[in-house]
Amino acid sequence: MSPPTVAVLQFPGVNCESETVRALERVGLAAEVFRWKRPPHELRAFDAYVLPGGFSYQDRVRAGALAAKDPLVDVLAEAAERGAPVLGICNGAQVLVESGLVPGGDTVELALARNRMPDRSGYYARWIYVRTERSACVFTRHLAPGTVLPMPVAHGEGRFVGEAGRMAVLADRGQAPLRYSDSNGQVATEFPALPNGAEVSAAAVCNARGNVLAIMPHPERAQDLGAVCRSIAGEWAERRTRLAAGNPGPEDGPGLELFRGLAQYLKGSK
Amino acid sequence: MRVAQAWISLHAEDPEAVSALAVARSRLAVGDEIVALTRLRLIELRGPLPTRPRLERLLHGSIQFYNPHKERCEVRTNAREAGPAKPGQHVVVVTERDGERRPAAERWWLHETGSRIEVREGVAWRIEIAPGSKFVLDDLVTVRDRRHGLLCHPRSQEARVASGRIPLPWISPPLADGVEGSVVSPPRNPSVERSVA
Repeated sequence: MSPPTVAVLQFPGVNCESETVRALERVGLAAEVFRWKRPPHELRAFDAYVLPGGFSYQDRVRAGALAAKDPLVDVLAEAAERGAPVLGICNGAQVLVESGLVPGGDTVELALARNRMPDRSGYYARWIYVRTERSACVFTRHLAPGTVLPMPVAHGEGRFVGEAGRMAVLADRGQAPLRYSDSNGQVATEFPALPNGAEVSAAAVCNARGNVLAIMPHPERAQDLGAVCRSIAGEWAERRTRLAAGNPGPEDGPGLELFRGLAQYLKGSK
Repeated sequence: MRVAQAWISLHAEDPEAVSALAVARSRLAVGDEIVALTRLRLIELRGPLPTRPRLERLLHGSIQFYNPHKERCEVRTNAREAGPAKPGQHVVVVTERDGERRPAAERWWLHETGSRIEVREGVAWRIEIAPGSKFVLDDLVTVRDRRHGLLCHPRSQEARVASGRIPLPWISPPLADGVEGSVVSPPRNPSVERSVA
C-alpha cells in the first residue's frame, strides 16, 4: 500500500520546507513541496498538509497576513473541514491563525502578537520545553498528558492572544495541546521558559476537532536526537548523552513525535 | 511638553504596500474600490523637544528613526501643518496594542540630549478610493475573516482613522489645551466602521 501523502506548502519566503519534508519521510509519509505557483485545486490530491516556518511574503503587513488570504488557504480550509490534518509551524501557525483555521469557525478569533519579554523586544530564539495536555489533537494525542518535549523557538510574533478569557476556554476544551513548561513538566509562567508571554502559556492551539494545529516551536528542527541543545535537561538530554557516548539506540529527536502522531493517524484512517 | 510627528516613507516604491494592494484587490470583498494604497511610518515624539531644526537633525542622525539613504522624513510639529493626506484620502494608523512605545529610541534620545521623551511608532496606510463607491473602510482595515480586513488585527493591534486633517498628537496621549503643538485629539481608537462614500 502506498504511504499517505503530505503537501508541504511553500509560499515565497518560507525556508523550512526541506527539513519538514525530511521529518515527514522519516515517519513513513510521502511528502512533497507544493509551491504557491501551482493551481490550488491540485492540493486536493493530498491526505494532509504542513505549512512550514519562515517568512511568507517577507512578513509584509503582518506575519502570515498575506499568505492567509491566498487561494491555497481556501483549499486548506475545505480540506480541514473534511477532517484532513493540517499542521502550521511558526510562520505556518501565523498563517493558520490569521486565516481563522485555528481555532476554527467563521471568523478570525486569535492573534499571534509580538513577543512580550521583560526588558527586551523583537525576535527571540532559544530551546524551550513544551508539555502535552489532554487533547483530541491528532498530532499529540498518542502522547501521555504531561509528556515533556524540548524544541527550539525562533520568532518575533508568537504570543497567542484572544478576547479576554478566550484562550482559557480553549485550554479547558483541550485546544491548547502543548504548553510551555520547565524540564519537569511544570507549566511555565515566566520568561524565558515562557518565551513570548502567550496567554495560558500556549505553545500550540488546535481546532475543536483536533485536525488543525498551529504550533510556534519548531518540531522539525528537533527531529534528530543529536541536535538537542546542550542547555536541555531531563530525559531527552540523557538520551542524547547516551547516543553521543556511542551507545546504540534510536536517533529520533523529540520533535519527531508530532510527525509520528500524524503518521499514526493517517495510517489508521487509510 | 510638545509633540512632533515624523512621517517616514520610502524613496522607492514600497513593496509592502504593493503586496497589500494586490492582495486587497484580488482577495477582499472591497478590493475593486481601492484606487491607491500607500504606506508610511509614523513616529511620534512627546516631551521637552528641541527646536525644529535640531529635531530634524536628531532624527536624521540616528538609525533609530529612519535611513536617509532610502527613506524620506517629513516633520510636523503643529496640527495646522499639512499632513500626509490629500483631500479625498484617508489615513489609518495601526499600532501594536500596548506595544507602540520604542524604548531603544527613547534611550538613544536620553543619551544624546539628556532629555526624557516618549517615542511611539505606528504604520500609517494612506487610502484612496473610487469616487462615489460604497466603500466601507472597515472592510479593508479590520481583520474579520479571509474576505474582510487586512491592515489591522483587532486582537493584537489598534487602528485610528483620519480623513482630511491628521490629528497631532495622534498615537500619543493628548496634551493639555493651549500647549504648543497640541490639538483636541479624537478619542483613542475611534471606530473605523463608517462608510466614507
